[in-house]
Amino acid sequence: MSASRSRAVWALAAKDLRLLSRNRATLFFALGWPILMALFFGYVFGGGGEKGRIPVVVVDEDGTSEAARLVSRLQAESGLQISSATREEATRLVRQGKRSAAVIVPRGYGEASTRLFHGAPARLELEVDPARTAEGSMIAGILTGAAMQSMQDLFTDPARTRAMVDRSLGDLAAGPPGKRGDETRTFLGQLRTFVDGSPGTDPATGSSGGGTGWKPLEIERREVRNEKVGPSSAFDFTFPQGILWGVIGSALGFALSLVTERTRGTLLRLETSPLSRLDVLLGKALACFLAIAAVEALLLGLGAAFFGIRPTSWAMLAAAAIAVATCFVGIMMAIAVLGKTEQAAGGLGWAIMMPLAMFGGGMIPLFVMPSWMQTVSNVSPVKWGILALEGATWRGFSAAEMALPLGVLVLVGLAGLGLGVRLFRGGEG
Amino acid sequence: MLTLRDLRKRFGGRVAVDGLSLEVHRGEILGLLGPNGAGKSTTIHMAVGLLDPDEGTVDVDGQGSPRNPEVRRLLGVAPQSLALYDALTPEENLRFFGRVQGLSGRGLAERVEWALSFAALSDRRRDRSGELSGGMKRRLNLAAALVHDPALLLLDEPTVGVDPQSRNAILDRVVELRSADRAVVYTTHYMEEAARICDRIAIVDAGRVLALGTLAELLSRHGGDPTLVVFRDGAEQRIVTRDPAGELSRILAAGRVDDFRVERADLEAVFLHLTGRRLRDP
Ligand SMILES: Nc1ncnc2c1ncn2[C@@H]1O[C@H](COP(=O)(O)OP(=O)(O)OP(=O)(O)O)[C@@H](O)[C@H]1O
Ligand SMILES: [Mg+2]
Repeated sequence: MSASRSRAVWALAAKDLRLLSRNRATLFFALGWPILMALFFGYVFGGGGEKGRIPVVVVDEDGTSEAARLVSRLQAESGLQISSATREEATRLVRQGKRSAAVIVPRGYGEASTRLFHGAPARLELEVDPARTAEGSMIAGILTGAAMQSMQDLFTDPARTRAMVDRSLGDLAAGPPGKRGDETRTFLGQLRTFVDGSPGTDPATGSSGGGTGWKPLEIERREVRNEKVGPSSAFDFTFPQGILWGVIGSALGFALSLVTERTRGTLLRLETSPLSRLDVLLGKALACFLAIAAVEALLLGLGAAFFGIRPTSWAMLAAAAIAVATCFVGIMMAIAVLGKTEQAAGGLGWAIMMPLAMFGGGMIPLFVMPSWMQTVSNVSPVKWGILALEGATWRGFSAAEMALPLGVLVLVGLAGLGLGVRLFRGGEG
Repeated sequence: MLTLRDLRKRFGGRVAVDGLSLEVHRGEILGLLGPNGAGKSTTIHMAVGLLDPDEGTVDVDGQGSPRNPEVRRLLGVAPQSLALYDALTPEENLRFFGRVQGLSGRGLAERVEWALSFAALSDRRRDRSGELSGGMKRRLNLAAALVHDPALLLLDEPTVGVDPQSRNAILDRVVELRSADRAVVYTTHYMEEAARICDRIAIVDAGRVLALGTLAELLSRHGGDPTLVVFRDGAEQRIVTRDPAGELSRILAAGRVDDFRVERADLEAVFLHLTGRRLRDP
């Protein structure tokens, strides 16, 4: 494209953006409305409230009072949201992304945790999605803390301490003799005397194994790959929804503006200028693209800054945003050339966009849709738009997984552009 | 500068332009005078490449059809219906249309100033165009056609709704364009305007040019002879004569005359003569 032509196309786009900035209604539907939607539904679906609470499933295979004590201690943790299940179910829940982690209390935990300073340590199993290392470490820390707390409790209840010491002494007497065993025996003997002498007091003895090399708790960590991650907060899905509504608002605004140029005669002036019809369409498309990109940038920026939207990669998110913009510029074009009057274009636009938005996850989040509806939603570019944005954020799509939604969006966009250009260049006046 | 050859255009079953040929030269104002629905705007639209004629050809300055974007560089069009962005100021409108025409930098700024003063809107340059009065919008609509100083101007009823003072100013400016060697096609159904500024006038009806020539030529060819109206003895007598002065002196020699007047043909009469209808319903 020659310099003067591209200057003219830029002039067209700049003019449209200036007109947009002076059109309060379109501006509201492109920016204000989607932000309100994202925030309102985000809070309605409990967006802020659940933030920071990690859903954890606990499997108690031990069934002892020690295990029950651990579970109730986890339940008391404000950072965790605890539910219980069988081992298979727990693993499945983590795999499906419904829980961040599974804590398995295997048989023998209670027995091991009442054995002090000798023998195999109490063992817990932790299943975490490798993508959630931070949460995994946090849960491991909480488990260690809880185990320590259990042990401390042991000493605050003299009856329990006495039983535990007696059992340990018995265990040692039955075992083979050795230097370490002797030391432990001596210590336990003294401990027994101490507990007898001071019932009810907190001995606050060193609760770690100290120099003896004994560990009170061993956490066996396993990776369970999350196959279907869920949103970590409602904002994770209300922001993509809001963005799509904003994109629809902008696209329809621009479709109307092209029709208005026709009905108000300014198109006639442009068409008698040295610009070709293709240039006129390019200018409109460029302005629409920039406006949509601004809507996306604003909402994503807001979401990232204040509502915990985390892109898996900024490049992927940018690709998603560009694909969405391309798609809806194309749709805008098709609607603009099909509708001959403002009423026709406006009516046609909403008639097309409403069902596409409803079935495409603009209202009901995609991941809670029944499966038949998810299938139906495939016809809606809104679905692919939301999926692309979610894929680049909480769904954590790989590049290969992104290819489908991005491809669909770009294809729809190009088809709309093609149709628009064909009809617009062919049409008279 | 502009040659229209045997143009035809129909919309569905309705023929809008029916074998129309015209030529406009530099330094000339050609008037297209005709009633509503005569096909004036349709002709203009074909002349600027907005419409493809069903038959016939349009040539601009020997460079071919205005369907070619390069050829359109020569054109300035003031459409009959206002074609402005209401949300932009007059200055922004003019600057935008100037840019679209390829102007930039100083050249653009100068032409925008020129066009603002042409439209006498310099003091309203920062108001929204939508807030201007109808006549001001009309002036801006014309200025937007001139901002890039085109060689060929097509003005489709540029004075509709403009007050007499502004109308005079606009007509004077259009006449100035002629002296700047521009070619102007001026569409109107006001006979007085056509008579005042047009070098040649094409009388158009039903998509055809019924007559073409200077005002004097049209009047002498199609206006018929002047009518001498004489009042005597309380009665009116109408005498159609090529020589009203001679006729009057003959009547005076024969007797007394209370009053007299001479009715000369105007474009209205020409139109009536050509079509059997009046140009405008009274
Ligand atoms: N886009 C169109 N579709 C259908 N018919 C049209 C169209 N444009 C013009 N016509 C018809 O063509 C004929 C000529 O219209 P045109 O606008 O050229 O007349 P005009 O001489 O400019 O009239 P006016 O003085 O009212 O502006 C009219 O009968 C009109 O109805
Ligand atoms: Mg007209």
